[in-house]
Amino acid sequence: MIRIAIYFRLVLILLLAGCSSVPPLKLPPGARVLWLAAADDVPTLDPAIGYDSASWIFEQAIFDTLVRYGDATVELEPDLATSWEISKDATTFTFHLRRDARFSNGRAVTSADFKYAIERVLKPSTRSKGTEYYRGIAGAADFISGRAKAVSGIELPDPYTIIFHLTGPDPIFIHKLTMPFAAAIPREVAEKWGEDFSHHVVGSGAFKLSEWIPGQRIALVRNPYYFAAGLPKLDAVVEMVGVNEELEWLKYEAGEIDISGIPAAEFPRVMRTPRLKALTIHNVTVTTDYIGMNCQMAPFTDVRVRQAFNYAINKQKLLDLLNGRGVVARGVLPPGLPGYTPDVKGYPYDPNKARRLLEDAGVRNGFAPVLWLRADQTMILLAQSVQQDLALVGVKLALKPVAWGPLLEAVREPNNTELFLLGWEADFPDPENFLEVLFSKRQWRSNNDTFYANPEVDRLLAAAAPISNLQLRFKLYDQAERIIVQQAPWVFLYHPVSYVIRQPWVHDYVINPMRPSRLEKVWVSPHKAGG
Amino acid sequence: MLHFVLRRLGFAILVLIGTSIITFVVAFVVPADPAVTIAGAKADPQTLAMIRQQLGLNQPLYMQYAHYLGRVLHGDLGRSYIMRESVTRLIAQRFGATAILAICAMVLSLILGIAMGMIAALYKDRAIDNGLLVVSLGLISIPVFWLGTMLLVVGGLYLRSFPLGGFSGPRSLILPTLTLALGSGGYYSRILHTSLGEVMGQDYIRTALGKGLSRRAVMFKHAMANALLPLITLAGLDLAGLLSGVVLTETVFDWPGIGRLAFEAIFNLDIPLIMGTVLFSAFLIVIANLVVDLLYAWLDPRIRLGEQG
Repeated sequence: MIRIAIYFRLVLILLLAGCSSVPPLKLPPGARVLWLAAADDVPTLDPAIGYDSASWIFEQAIFDTLVRYGDATVELEPDLATSWEISKDATTFTFHLRRDARFSNGRAVTSADFKYAIERVLKPSTRSKGTEYYRGIAGAADFISGRAKAVSGIELPDPYTIIFHLTGPDPIFIHKLTMPFAAAIPREVAEKWGEDFSHHVVGSGAFKLSEWIPGQRIALVRNPYYFAAGLPKLDAVVEMVGVNEELEWLKYEAGEIDISGIPAAEFPRVMRTPRLKALTIHNVTVTTDYIGMNCQMAPFTDVRVRQAFNYAINKQKLLDLLNGRGVVARGVLPPGLPGYTPDVKGYPYDPNKARRLLEDAGVRNGFAPVLWLRADQTMILLAQSVQQDLALVGVKLALKPVAWGPLLEAVREPNNTELFLLGWEADFPDPENFLEVLFSKRQWRSNNDTFYANPEVDRLLAAAAPISNLQLRFKLYDQAERIIVQQAPWVFLYHPVSYVIRQPWVHDYVINPMRPSRLEKVWVSPHKAGG
Repeated sequence: MLHFVLRRLGFAILVLIGTSIITFVVAFVVPADPAVTIAGAKADPQTLAMIRQQLGLNQPLYMQYAHYLGRVLHGDLGRSYIMRESVTRLIAQRFGATAILAICAMVLSLILGIAMGMIAALYKDRAIDNGLLVVSLGLISIPVFWLGTMLLVVGGLYLRSFPLGGFSGPRSLILPTLTLALGSGGYYSRILHTSLGEVMGQDYIRTALGKGLSRRAVMFKHAMANALLPLITLAGLDLAGLLSGVVLTETVFDWPGIGRLAFEAIFNLDIPLIMGTVLFSAFLIVIANLVVDLLYAWLDPRIRLGEQG
């Protein structure tokens, strides 16, 4: 028995020794820290690689771009560029950099750091998701194919000026420079670490990486060289990763984290409780969720069938299922997107009209199409609501929930998916990012998954694309959108609204409609640890 | 015995090769293009084509498998599409947390199972036995995700006695260990109870009892060693399963282990990581099977002699 006790003690000591290998987080006493939690691990901190919110929230904090968006808006603001000029034909973009910007290792940021970053994105061996955004720079094609050692269209007249020459007009090119892909990175650090740069990032943003234990936590601390006086207001930001939605909520209730999402089951209680409701923060995202109808597959080749589906589906009911976290879509473009026109009326819920349209189109009662969707609890719930609505007009909808990857594959195949439930989130605040990308015939087998084609729409989109005059540009896009809405390749469902809840001691945390929240102006007032 | 060991080793290698082929084929049968996984939903066809070229995805499947197998034999499980890190390194980073949790859970479930099984067998057909039957069936029936969440709400949120998830030291081990161990403990107690019942009915036990030894003494000194054999086999295999990750428990408790890594890999269709975690799990299970087989053969000569005959 004594021997067993000794063995047991030995095992326990070994286990505890193993446990102590998890290092405790070292923060100075009294540090003003923002505690966050997220389900997904941070995939990468390398700005050439990341293309997701989980990576971008930290990349935005660590790196600076030439221009950026406002904290809660999609208006362009200077970041490291103090001013810029765009040629009338939108083919030359000149930026003048501030001279006091430094990387977190103390080295001054110059225009060469921006050129290097974009060349790194274009380099095929980087396998960057951002390549397509910078292909329009003159000389990019030669650089990608290896025929040139540098991108000739990026000119550096001096260390604080950078000029981009494009192969053709692209008025939204400046928006492409707000993406972390185009953030300045120090060549010497990136080349020293190669593929491991993600774990040794050095940027000129408000924060620098302090610690990253994959699967556990990531910690940023203030960058002492950050150019903006008095920012950041926090000493550190710590995110615990792998925390599922329910656990995140428990941690919020226990005061362990400062910002949390609100689980669907808790949302009604939060909104009924004035104390909690006052702590919620929300913003409409520049996203449209929709049901795509394949315009090359019968009977969706008939515009009357597509319109009937628009009338038959009760969008408000979908929003009720989402606890009201969204606004009904009347067209393609979300409110908040420049170029949005509120007088596009869309399709009100009208099952009688839907039934008549289906009859006119000769669709027999009991028609049974298949709706492809992501195998996700919320999506399935919404699809079931759509199923009920369509049953009232004699359509027996079958649901096909599949994983995300296979769904994306399936919808790109011609004549494969007659109906699919998807959403589109803008990358840039411009109608082009919805209308050209999703409805132009040029985008078949790319992102035009409904295989919609209309020569007049294609003509309007092509005419609008090079125009810099916003009034004229938006007018053409508006005409294109009206045709698209009338021809209804989508059932226009809703624009989601993002909600989070903060602790009472967290201030100036805002949600951007298109990008992850910025953290440099957020501050925390003194409070007891753990609430 | 050497012949037996060699045969078993040969089978183990065949199983691992078979697993690698099945995993590889399944990964490519899934209608998801790895280039889309890497480049994202919005990528244009040019970017996708470039990535396919980079990864050698245009090569025939058998060539890709041969390259993969060659790398695996050198300990290189490839690079994660999403995290862009070595799969071997990712598994190594997570294995420690899973191993600690698995060993703690196994130790506790064996203590629970053996204690409950013995007490139940000692008081066979009496109130204690029936009570323990109900308790153990209850423990087996509780879903892990529910038990874990309840333990977190009570122990973490209301009592504030334990951390709310994460791997932050010895105290953070207690709730996930309990979550894993309670169910297995209940199961082991039923196995031991049945096994002890069978052994206690054998001739040599009746002889011992006939000689005047107490039931308790006979159980501890003579029956226990034999009755524990099936339990050890089961625990050995369970330990391999635990070591290859416990997805639900690790997800509920934000435990940075292999199970959560595999879950994330599947969710993101990160094929090299899926294959890496599956192969690693298969390796652990094959090794555990091998050890159990060898242990059994060593403990029971009839098995190895039977094989030779």
